[in-house]
Amino acid sequence: MHRLGIGNTERWLILVILAMSAALGVLTSTFLTLPNLFDLLNASAVDIIFGVGLLVVLIAGGIDISFTVAASVVQYLTALTLGLFGGGDWALGLILAGIFGTLLGCLNAFFIYQFRIVSIVVTIATYNLFFGLLMFFSGGVSIYDLPDWLTTRVVIFGTETAAGHAELTVIVLVMAVCVVATWLLLRRTSTGRQLYAMGDNPEGARRVGINIGAMHYLAFGWLGLMAGIAGLMQAHYAQEIVPNALYGRELNVLAAVVLGGARLGGGRGTILGVFLGIILVAMTQNGLNLLGVSPYAFKMIIGAIILVAITLSSEGVGRLMGSWRRPAERRTA
Amino acid sequence: MINVYRRALCASVFALALTGVAQASPDKPVIGVVVKIGGIPWFNAMEAGIKKKGAELGVKAFMVGPTSADPALQVRAIEDLIAQKVDVIGVVPNDAEVLEPVLERARAAGIKVITHESPKQKNADYDFELASAQGFGEAYGKRLVDALGGKGEYAVFVGSLTVPLHNAWADAANAYIKANAPGMTLVGDRYGVAENVDQSRSTALDLMRAHPNLKGFLAFGSQGPIGAARAVAEKHMDGKILVMGPFSPGQGKKLVHDGVLTGGFMWNPEVAGEVFVTLGTMVAKGEAIKDGTDIPGLGVVHPEGHNLIVNELVNLNKDTVDDLAKMGL
Repeated sequence: MHRLGIGNTERWLILVILAMSAALGVLTSTFLTLPNLFDLLNASAVDIIFGVGLLVVLIAGGIDISFTVAASVVQYLTALTLGLFGGGDWALGLILAGIFGTLLGCLNAFFIYQFRIVSIVVTIATYNLFFGLLMFFSGGVSIYDLPDWLTTRVVIFGTETAAGHAELTVIVLVMAVCVVATWLLLRRTSTGRQLYAMGDNPEGARRVGINIGAMHYLAFGWLGLMAGIAGLMQAHYAQEIVPNALYGRELNVLAAVVLGGARLGGGRGTILGVFLGIILVAMTQNGLNLLGVSPYAFKMIIGAIILVAITLSSEGVGRLMGSWRRPAERRTA
Repeated sequence: MINVYRRALCASVFALALTGVAQASPDKPVIGVVVKIGGIPWFNAMEAGIKKKGAELGVKAFMVGPTSADPALQVRAIEDLIAQKVDVIGVVPNDAEVLEPVLERARAAGIKVITHESPKQKNADYDFELASAQGFGEAYGKRLVDALGGKGEYAVFVGSLTVPLHNAWADAANAYIKANAPGMTLVGDRYGVAENVDQSRSTALDLMRAHPNLKGFLAFGSQGPIGAARAVAEKHMDGKILVMGPFSPGQGKKLVHDGVLTGGFMWNPEVAGEVFVTLGTMVAKGEAIKDGTDIPGLGVVHPEGHNLIVNELVNLNKDTVDDLAKMGL
């Protein structure tokens, strides 16, 4: 298991997800159908793009809560710039969203690194700054008039099944590219190892000669890049740009990423964990709707499931089980 | 030396604070209106109405829009208005009960309180409605029954499970349908997603999956009809599943012409904004509101307790949506 990169946290999450899938598969006739699973993936894709970006910052020992409002700012800037270019296309849209996102991320890194300010303080400030600027300059006005290429649904894979039409959209493809790129960065480059090292022990990393400044710009810039792309994808499926559409989503993403095993103190976290954490939360919501559970109980159940999953996957449970076993071992010895 | 600077700084801050306080007087009352959430078209239109009427009557009227539909943010905004010593506070509550204590404090400070979209609100001087909850809900119920021929399953969205008015509409619509179309059934309970387009869309997708015989969505909340209509479009169910609810015409007109958003009824938020200012000015000047008083925007009113309720419904459909959208709604 460990050779596949599946750690303790991920193993427990997989078990919880499989148990829930089995239960939902028995209790509803619709959960384990291709259309539903594809919809689940389509609906989670944007959060996963945000999640892998946030993971890089968490691994590097930082935290960022400004990324969703940064994505909203990117949506506006991209839409306005595309207007100047007479509409543009997917390539231009992605490049612009990526550039704007990276710049906003680097702004965070600038304050955090140059002035040695704790990252949560900086990003709380930029969170308010970004949102305030957005509301001030947009006047709270939404943009409905987007280029046709952006609002037309792009289906990359569609099939007819007994349970109805199942399709995967371009958002899932973009998500896959983002996930693979982040995996390559973290697991296949020495830069990735340096990010882990900095998160685990910043002073040690500095003494062995890791360029701490560059690592800051890389981590926050990467999250900005992912946030910009995720923002464009959200605008794509919502088919409109609303200034507060993403406001408040950062905490959901953060909770799901931490649920997936990323440590808030830095140095630990995996892509698989992010994926599983976000899918678990999305699956719970989806399952509750399919089961016809009263919406009055939704938040209670989602909270309880997060609590169960995080308790099972914590080191505490392993230690508890270990301590149960140890006396027996001693007796045999 | 530092002390001198500090004192000068304190003095100038104090002076700024003094001049910053809105200067209220009986002739030129100051009216602050706290809405559910800023930055969405509905309340942008309301703000336009507030500003327009304020300029017309020569009073200082402004809108405060919290960043999310959170009752706690509204409490804070009202506390700010009390501190500013405005004459009239207008509120479109996210949660009627949460606001009761802070509104009580406002009235204790001599401030008049006017609410909208919250009949039965405690600690308010007046509440005005451009549609009675009963009439509005029944109009939707009737339209859905007629369109479906009295048969099929339907689902109901509300802005949040604690928005009193949305729930009153849903109650009235459900009661009408139950009484007049026994062949129709409500699936699930009501879903509190309709102020968020993403959540409305994904909940609609889930419900369509869970209930293959679903024939209609009633979505009370400005983003609900949009999200549900997008879900219907994605699943190519246009014409087979009807989506009804109040929405901003500019946001929904494309969906209406595509045939996925059936339509609904609304009232004009710009008129609501104007009424806040007109009524606020009358109340601040101590004018009595009696049976038969003619208030511009509301017409002739017949107060029931402190409620001023009229039925000024605007029909939303393929023919009317473009004109309404041109008004910036």
